Amino acid sequence: MGKEDLVSNNPLRALGFEKDEAADTRRIGLVMARAGLGKTAILVQIAMDSMLRDNKILHVAIGEGVDKTRTWYDDILTLTNDEEKLDNFQQVVDEIMQNRMIMTFKENSFSLATLEERMEDLSSQGIFKADCLVIDGFDFSDSDRTKALAELKTFMESNNLKMIWFSATCHRDDERVSANGVPAPCHDFDDVFDTVLLISPEGGNINLKTLKCSKACAVDAGKSLILDPATMLIKKA
Amino acid sequence: MSVDLSNVRNIGISAHIDSGKTTLTERILFYTDRIHAIHDVRGKDGVGAKMDSMELERERGITIQSAATYCNWKGNDINIIDTPGHVDFTVEVERALRVLDGAVLILCSVGGVQSQSITVNRQMDRYNVPRISFINKCDRTGANPERVTGQLQDKLGLNAHMLQLPIGLENDLEGIVDLVTMKAIYFDGDNGEIIREEEIPAELKDAADEKREELLDAVSMFSDELMEAMLEETEISTDMVREAVRAGTLALEFSPVFIGSAYKNKAVQPLLDAVEYYLPCPTDVENLGLDLDKDEEEFPVSNNDDDPLIMLAFKLEDGRYGQLTYVRTYQGRLNKGDTVFNTRTGKKVKVGRLVRMHSDEMEEIDSCGSGDIVALFGVDCASGDTFTDGKLTCSMSSMHIPEPVISLAIIPSDNKAQINMSKALNRFTKEDPTFKTFVDHETNETIISGMGELHLEVYVERMKREYGAEVEVGAPQVAYRETISQRAEFNYTHKKQTGGSGQFGRVAGYMEPLEEGEYEFEDKIVGGSIPREFISSCDKGFQKSLAKGTLCGSPVTGVRCVINDGSFHAVDSSDVAFQLAAVGAFKEGYIKAKPAIMEPIMKVAVEGPSEFQGAVMGSINQRRGMIIGTTEEGTYTVVEAEVPLSEMFGYSTSLRSLTQGKAEFTMEFASFKPVPKSVSEELIKKFQDEKKEK
Repeated sequence: MGKEDLVSNNPLRALGFEKDEAADTRRIGLVMARAGLGKTAILVQIAMDSMLRDNKILHVAIGEGVDKTRTWYDDILTLTNDEEKLDNFQQVVDEIMQNRMIMTFKENSFSLATLEERMEDLSSQGIFKADCLVIDGFDFSDSDRTKALAELKTFMESNNLKMIWFSATCHRDDERVSANGVPAPCHDFDDVFDTVLLISPEGGNINLKTLKCSKACAVDAGKSLILDPATMLIKKA
Repeated sequence: MSVDLSNVRNIGISAHIDSGKTTLTERILFYTDRIHAIHDVRGKDGVGAKMDSMELERERGITIQSAATYCNWKGNDINIIDTPGHVDFTVEVERALRVLDGAVLILCSVGGVQSQSITVNRQMDRYNVPRISFINKCDRTGANPERVTGQLQDKLGLNAHMLQLPIGLENDLEGIVDLVTMKAIYFDGDNGEIIREEEIPAELKDAADEKREELLDAVSMFSDELMEAMLEETEISTDMVREAVRAGTLALEFSPVFIGSAYKNKAVQPLLDAVEYYLPCPTDVENLGLDLDKDEEEFPVSNNDDDPLIMLAFKLEDGRYGQLTYVRTYQGRLNKGDTVFNTRTGKKVKVGRLVRMHSDEMEEIDSCGSGDIVALFGVDCASGDTFTDGKLTCSMSSMHIPEPVISLAIIPSDNKAQINMSKALNRFTKEDPTFKTFVDHETNETIISGMGELHLEVYVERMKREYGAEVEVGAPQVAYRETISQRAEFNYTHKKQTGGSGQFGRVAGYMEPLEEGEYEFEDKIVGGSIPREFISSCDKGFQKSLAKGTLCGSPVTGVRCVINDGSFHAVDSSDVAFQLAAVGAFKEGYIKAKPAIMEPIMKVAVEGPSEFQGAVMGSINQRRGMIIGTTEEGTYTVVEAEVPLSEMFGYSTSLRSLTQGKAEFTMEFASFKPVPKSVSEELIKKFQDEKKEK
């Protein structure tokens, strides 16, 4: 048993996204849900999938502390291992955690320019060169920030990033949606994202739906998974 | 002396280093008439602050030992423990919190909630200590008490609300607006001793009204009376608000915030009022004792003077007149000349002198009652001991004591120094449970171990200054461990049949890594291949082997030894023979079990201006550190990392030079992890070379 076993049940893999990464594309993804439904848990699973494939992940948490973010990883790894029971679990954890760095910002002190500056600090000293970014807590209702999204492709290219995943909160009482079904506040600029996933509760289950996929993506829009509401891992029959 | 406990407050003053605790205590003593002149911590008058009684503390400008003092404010007896701010001395903070009923958390209005404040807050949570916060240094450039209050909410998770507003800030700090009485308060006179109450300045009226509304909203849930008055829009009295704030504070659900500048003599008196209004008296908090006759069953102490005596020794000091023991009385009364019973040692001791401490000066008293903090003379005990009058067999709950992580060898310069060093070590180990000492029998060196470089450095300095013990100090040593990484079998025969009586024993079985715990032994012998009487000999032999691993001579941990076969000789087998057979078996299995060296990894938090973030991360990276994350807050950034302890020596100097002295760090033990191959090879080589030299 190796670290591969820890990702076999990752939502991205279950949806077939690993073929997408193999295509060597730069991908911008978005996980949407109402508050408290588990966006961070999904982002952390996406990050872990990437880390286990030896990509360096920079997890940017806006408005959260390092400890809280770290706990998400610890909890999800422990839950996954409860199912997989790796013999050398701690060794695997120590190994993959070398591929992660957490950077947290206060809501008002975050900007893509500051982030780029910090990433440059890290890579110029050979400390950490991120392959992928996870940005949790980005405020999509702030129009100044969303303007910067237009520059994302350039930002990715200049930093040689393979993917960036965002999370966004949608609201029950805001019914605006884009043609692809992407809810507000991201409905006006869903073209920025290659992939959009939506977490939605249905009955006693939590569904992870694929709202949008780029043309290169091997996954069909509309495909969905059922998650265990207690762990946010894929529910096993 | 007051008997009514509602007028007694036992409080601690805790905070991040350099946030002005000692200065604040100095002002408190001045306003309560305990001292008649104010001296600054790093004062030009060369006197130093009252609470920093040790020469070394005055020189460094930091408080190393908590000194207890007493004062009386408006008829209330206040016992204050001034506690150290550096993380290396947290045992002092923890001990103080254990015996106190409430605490004042001091924060710098510029630095805000810093790493040490987080540690101190966690400690206060551990002991359920109700706390109020004082945002000090509001006269400094960049002061922003509102931002700091936000940090108390975000970083410490406290339901913190300001009960005052500043009138001016930085150089223009004039006074405060009290949001409970809705009055402006100014502090006149050379030392701010004259309090002038005025109407709230017009330009602050709206802000004060708004903040008071917010405050009332926040505390109304703690008082039905206040909630009712708010709903019915009837008059809200000052007492009503104070009672609600007090109820919330005692329930640890609300944390009132006060502001001021101790250095500029602004708003210290309202803080003293707040201690009276909002912090608990001894009967407001429940302290639990452990009944030793009932398998350590918990019971609440009564706080009643008429009940049998229970008191806890929480701090020892060796002064000019012998050992001084600081005690907190939880119930009963103690009179001069009484005989008390130490429940740990079972010894009876007579209390010859009873004093109330005021930093290093003392005041003789004849008796003390429950809730009091006093000091005893000539009582031989260790820190943490419980005393009773002999009618009860109980102990106060044990204190959380962390394990030392660093050690160094000390070599006395001559015979006289050796004698003095022994005296000093004897005292220090009694006073401080995190400071340990032992003699390495191989090198014959005396080793001291503690919680960090500064911790040990301070004790070495104290040895020199207080005991005249000149010692040479070796390089700090990290406490390495050895462990095994896989299961391995052993089958070893110990045979000695030449000359004298013979020895014979064969031990077979296996060893495997143990996830939790240090060592386990299991006997799976069937059919008597090893006689019962020699099974414990095998266990002893394995345990002997654990003391020193073969890789670098460090203790071996995380091993489970199982024996399942063996043989014996009717005449030549003995306890010693089987012990030696087990030692041989361990050696045989250990080599096959892929042994590895583990090193202590520290959780390090470096805090400083964001402009130095790159340099700080670079410095951690150079030290084999793994950066876990960074937290950026305006102009300040905290870098959190896990760094091997062996790489942290001298880091404070290097950090100072990298950041122009603007960054600081704290560290605490996180876990043991395997050392990288290159380091492991180096340690093994060093150990082999040392063995050859012997």
